[in-house]
Amino acid sequence: MNTGFIKRFIFTSIGRKAVMAITGLMLGAFMLFHLAENLILFKGEVAYNTWVDFLLSNPLIIPLELGLAAIFLTHSFFGAWVRIEDWINAPRGYEARKWQGGRTVGSATMLYTAVLILAYLVYHMLTFRFVDHSIGFYQMVTSAFRGKLFTAIYIGGAVALVIHLTHGLQSAFQTLGVNHPKCTPFIKTGGWIAALLMVGFAMISLYYLLELDLKCAAAVYQVTIQ
Amino acid sequence: MNNSKHFNVTIRVWRQDGPEEPGRMVSYKVTDVSPDMSFLEMLDILNENLLKKNEKPLAFESDCREGICGCCGLVVNGDVHGPDDHSTVCQLHMRRFKDGDVITVEPWRVRSFPVIKDLVVDRTAFERIMAAGGYVSVNAGAAPDANSIPVNKDAAEEAMDSAACIGCGACVAACPNGCAMLFTGAKISQFALLPQGAPERARRALCMLEAMDREGFGNCSNEYECEAVCPKEVKVSNIARFNREFLLANLFGKEPAAASAHLKSTPDVPEDE
Repeated sequence: MNTGFIKRFIFTSIGRKAVMAITGLMLGAFMLFHLAENLILFKGEVAYNTWVDFLLSNPLIIPLELGLAAIFLTHSFFGAWVRIEDWINAPRGYEARKWQGGRTVGSATMLYTAVLILAYLVYHMLTFRFVDHSIGFYQMVTSAFRGKLFTAIYIGGAVALVIHLTHGLQSAFQTLGVNHPKCTPFIKTGGWIAALLMVGFAMISLYYLLELDLKCAAAVYQVTIQ
Repeated sequence: MNNSKHFNVTIRVWRQDGPEEPGRMVSYKVTDVSPDMSFLEMLDILNENLLKKNEKPLAFESDCREGICGCCGLVVNGDVHGPDDHSTVCQLHMRRFKDGDVITVEPWRVRSFPVIKDLVVDRTAFERIMAAGGYVSVNAGAAPDANSIPVNKDAAEEAMDSAACIGCGACVAACPNGCAMLFTGAKISQFALLPQGAPERARRALCMLEAMDREGFGNCSNEYECEAVCPKEVKVSNIARFNREFLLANLFGKEPAAASAHLKSTPDVPEDE
């Protein structure tokens, strides 16, 4: 059995990039799904808890979670590998350096947004996944979003994801060899749309934070006018 | 000569005696610079002045001085090939500068292009990439034979755009990762787009990638700084084609008998008579 082609996906520069591109696109697809399921929060406690119960009672949930973790770890590992390799190989820098317009905020900060997303994900797992769920998922999520620090961290994670995706999506298509005057403008626009959709996560958390504040403001207002 | 338009500049330039010697930035004053001079002519004058003072002249590469040979290549004030868009540094003129300017001049800073002396770097890594597969193994004939093979006009134009690459190395010098994907992608493309190059495209993609990685070039992160500085306006769609050629060759192509061994054997090219 010939394994040369598998080795090339791990040990050549384009091979590793292709693995990153495919896992990145998978993670992007998961994020869209995750956003959609989180929007069920707005339908209320019963709808959300029903969905979560359906999800967790599914016998495939553990393999799916492990698969997702594997995809995420692969993406992170290959990303770290190519970056560290470039650091080791970095030559003496230029005394003066002007970027010529190819670089964007997204492309220049891929590593930093990646680290932020990773840090955020650990926090997200510790606060939502590996905790006591006995109060009910809807209560757990909405009460968490009423904390200002929690919401700030949550929004930070969402912003990092937005910036990461502005470069990431079109970069993935380029790495997989999809670049053509016909489709590339659509891919770039699609990347921005997908990235901006991630703002939706921030919106959900802000909604619950501000809802509380609006209620407080209303209460204060009631007290004041009486 | 006394011309009121003439001016003086200070050149801060990288001096390095040899590949193993430590280098440093040194400042030189160049007086009476004409705005009509090319940047390299100004360096020629600097060298004449240095020789008169019994100092070592500044080593830099140039040949055609009209932007087609790919010899010259300097980073001027942080701009690869100088401040003009899509031109080589030999096409840069002193009218782009003004009296009293301090101009920083550096060689390509790329690990795979070690400095030989001052501003001259060793770009033979590109030649080794080409030797790994940037050719057609059999004699494809002369012009009449080429004309007898029908080639789609669009493909011919696109191949020509890729073949416009002069191998100057600006793409690598501009890349934050020191990556040679634009160069290799252009060379892969100029063959892949034409019927003469098609039979060997799978082996070519795998071998040239292997050679590129072996030379220690960086990993492409699709930042497109290369396209922005390329004097010949080679597009990053060439990189996408390289990626595509690699993926197709790796997944579906015939495994090359020996991607590495191929490099060591002498290509079986019939001699021209």
